[in-house]
Amino acid sequence: MMEQALYVSNALLWIAVLALAALVFALVRQIGVLYERVAPAGALMLAGGPKVGEAAPRFALDDVFGRATTLGGDDPERRQTLLLFVSPTCPVCKTLLPVAKSLAAREPRPRLVFASDGQEDHVAFVRKHALDAYPYVVSTELGLAHQVGKLPHAVLWDARGIVRAKGLVNSREHLESLFEAMDRGVASIQEYVSRAGGSR
Amino acid sequence: MALSLDPALAIALRTGLALLFAAAAAHKLRDFGAFRDALEGYRLLPPRALGLFACGLIAAELATAGALVLSEQGGPAAAALLGLYSAAIALNLARGLREIDCGCFGPALRQPLSLALVLRNLGLISLAGVCALQVGSRALAPLDALTIAAGVALGALVHGAVNGLIANAPRLRALRGA
Repeated sequence: MMEQALYVSNALLWIAVLALAALVFALVRQIGVLYERVAPAGALMLAGGPKVGEAAPRFALDDVFGRATTLGGDDPERRQTLLLFVSPTCPVCKTLLPVAKSLAAREPRPRLVFASDGQEDHVAFVRKHALDAYPYVVSTELGLAHQVGKLPHAVLWDARGIVRAKGLVNSREHLESLFEAMDRGVASIQEYVSRAGGSR
Repeated sequence: MALSLDPALAIALRTGLALLFAAAAAHKLRDFGAFRDALEGYRLLPPRALGLFACGLIAAELATAGALVLSEQGGPAAAALLGLYSAAIALNLARGLREIDCGCFGPALRQPLSLALVLRNLGLISLAGVCALQVGSRALAPLDALTIAAGVALGALVHGAVNGLIANAPRLRALRGA
């Protein structure tokens, strides 16, 4: 009799423990989804470098293939410029390269320029990821002028050379948020969200 | 009397750890490129050795899972593998390289390195250590089937919840800082 009671009690407890564990697991998953929705999807803006609304610093550089590349100032073809700071040793940068290329192919077809520095084999990097069609400049001064701290860092300026959006970009959403911020005339998606939040 | 482990507990522990390693190998195989990139991010290996080492790790995980199920030698192998991962994480934490993908739970749960990951691994290592204890002899009763099955399920759920919490922590920090 007693033994049977213990069996029943034990089985019941196991069921209860498993049900509670499943609940905890499900709650953690839900919290994860919430974070994804709530967290600002925009590129993280870091202090330093030319601010949004200021002119991008002018540079005349030769890229890794010796092609003359000018950065900043009026663009003769009236294009926006997306300057993406990358490095051959940064894994996130690699995942972002095809994204940047697809954004550059989208109307109104911004000019895409890659920038890097350091002693790595940049030509091999360009070949491996088929970036030959875009200027790829290696310049420590350019990185210093934009005060690039973390990679991949992107700066977007308009046809007149005025910085419209910039920030640390880790995903397609971040990179797209730069264009979104420019179209909406705000410095960053975070600013847009906080404005919207204020009027709510 | 020497410290010995109840056979039902031993079976549950070994099955749970075997499932853990099999799942780890499966997510690495499913997206081998992402695993290789994560491994590269650790900056511990020359680029040429990466592919070979990545294959080696997956093979080691599968072998460990098999050893846990089939023999009693799986515990030390599991502890060694987890120790290797923890050392790699701890080394990069020590040199300040925490903003890399840990590659721990596959590309779906991308996250930076943290001390919590090392502590989680230490917990798993101690479980693997318990596996290596002398297993006592006792005839298994029908109720043990429930203990083993429910124990393994409980372990999987708690492990999943802990991983979820660890993965959420940097997002929470980002929200607080924003």
